[in-house]
Amino acid sequence: MKSVRQQIGAMARRWPTFEVAEQSTTHALWFGGLIGVERSHRLSLEFALPDHRDGKGMSARFPVVRVLSPRLILKPNTAEEAPLPHVYFEEPDTTLSPLCLFDPSKSEWSHDDLVAHTTVPWAADWLACYEGWLATGRWHGGGRHGRGAHKDTMEE
Amino acid sequence: MVNDGTLDIPGTGAGDMNNLWSNPPLGPTAPVGEILLAGTAIRIELPPSLHQLAVDRYEAIRKHIERADSPLHDRVRIFYPQGSMAIRATIKARKRVDGFDIDIIAELILPLSLTPAEVLDLLFAAINGPPGSRYHGMVERQTRCVTVYYADGMHLDVTPTVLIDERAPRLSCLFHAKAEEPPASHKRVLMNSFAFCDWFNELTPANVSFAMAYAERAAAFDRIAILADAEVKPVPAHSTIEGGKSTTVVALQLLKRNRNLRHEKRKGMRLPPSVMMAKIAAETSVPGASIAGALESIAGAIQSTLEAAEREERLVDVRNPRCQDERFTDRWPENRQAQRLYIEDLKLLRQQLAALMSDSLMLDQKRDLLVAMFGEGPAQSTVDEYAATIGRSIQSGNRLVSPLGRIVPSVAAAAPFVVKSGPAQPRPHTFFGTRWKG
Repeated sequence: MKSVRQQIGAMARRWPTFEVAEQSTTHALWFGGLIGVERSHRLSLEFALPDHRDGKGMSARFPVVRVLSPRLILKPNTAEEAPLPHVYFEEPDTTLSPLCLFDPSKSEWSHDDLVAHTTVPWAADWLACYEGWLATGRWHGGGRHGRGAHKDTMEE
Repeated sequence: MVNDGTLDIPGTGAGDMNNLWSNPPLGPTAPVGEILLAGTAIRIELPPSLHQLAVDRYEAIRKHIERADSPLHDRVRIFYPQGSMAIRATIKARKRVDGFDIDIIAELILPLSLTPAEVLDLLFAAINGPPGSRYHGMVERQTRCVTVYYADGMHLDVTPTVLIDERAPRLSCLFHAKAEEPPASHKRVLMNSFAFCDWFNELTPANVSFAMAYAERAAAFDRIAILADAEVKPVPAHSTIEGGKSTTVVALQLLKRNRNLRHEKRKGMRLPPSVMMAKIAAETSVPGASIAGALESIAGAIQSTLEAAEREERLVDVRNPRCQDERFTDRWPENRQAQRLYIEDLKLLRQQLAALMSDSLMLDQKRDLLVAMFGEGPAQSTVDEYAATIGRSIQSGNRLVSPLGRIVPSVAAAAPFVVKSGPAQPRPHTFFGTRWKG
């Protein structure tokens, strides 16, 4: 399992535009910019160890990425992935819903991974596909959906 | 490259326009706006397969005119493409969704004593032929040319000319005879489009790396068109690269498309002439410029030329550099208002272009700009293709991620530009998510 310190070190090397806003021995929070296609987006990235005191929350199970600005645009009438593609829908502000970057049932991510090498580039993938979806109405990045409609429900 | 596909490419992230514009031509790291401009130009231009079809068709017309019972038998000295066809800047016709205008000169051996109307009528009779012959009923006599219409929307404008001076190659006159005007207003107009096209092609040589990158994209798009149209013959791949296009020619195609779009609803108004645009484009041609850079400098130069005339309260006067008596602006602008209108069009185009090339807009906003500049069909199709390419590269894992997070499709294509090592290509992943309950 990678420590918070290892995660922070890797992030600083690979993604210098991300700054650590909060850190402890069990969790870290970054803010930074990512491009995707060409326009820079400001994101938050939250990581926590499984035994974090709030370990029942989403960030203790996997890193949580949200797009802060420009705000995500909901398109309720789009043919594919309406109103927003591949997120864990979260109320009350749906535009801040965490991005769904991997399939939990495929073991594509674990706490042995560095977020700098997985979560952040995957978020860039998501942004690129999101911009394509906005421009064409189609989600070209593939993926699948679980059955649940709530953020903490990830059953297949 | 070590371990995460890190690229260190100048200008691939948030940067100023100059940085963005200096990237390798149409490579995977080229600015998005540049890739969209190339895609749009490819969708509006005469594709390699139809270029060959046009050549076959004008060769067939030449043979038809020279047939034994033709009134012009043994009277054709030379048949050659002029205008857009000669500089390879042909785009879809203004009034047709799928058609192309092909301009051909038929240099005839005729006495100069014939009236303009007689020459045009003679050419019309030669092409139209007797009832039942190949082109009968497909032909229309125009003011300066004879047009042959094809069912697929292509049409060939064949302009008759007569050589004026044997010692000055291709220095000719064309014939102006509007049917409803009195013969007194008919005239001969001096021209040397052959020499102009030579001059243009000399000044706008293709940059090899750009020409190859553009030709490969054009050929790929053309293959799709060929599959959809059984009548079109494929052309050898090398012919799309050999003597490929310069950024100036591609930019000129886009500028003409924009002009056509702006004038679509201006009924009865003449278009700013393509040949005037081509002349100014060649004068501003910079080897190796990007499409966006070429488009900006051509539009800027035309705007300056028109504004200079406007300041002097006159109409612009642009002439053939190889035949000073040939005035390219003899029929446009009709008046100062038309001149001012095109100045405003160019100002708007340049503003839109600057926005298209900036890194502060998202892809859907760039799509809207592209639609406004060049029309919905080619613009949306280009953006669809771009989004699909990005998506495929992500799904297959065949993409790199720049230091600022830009997704660069196709590892193989990007490899020459990798200069900084880093972690590997991010490993594949599957987008997931909850379903929307609303």
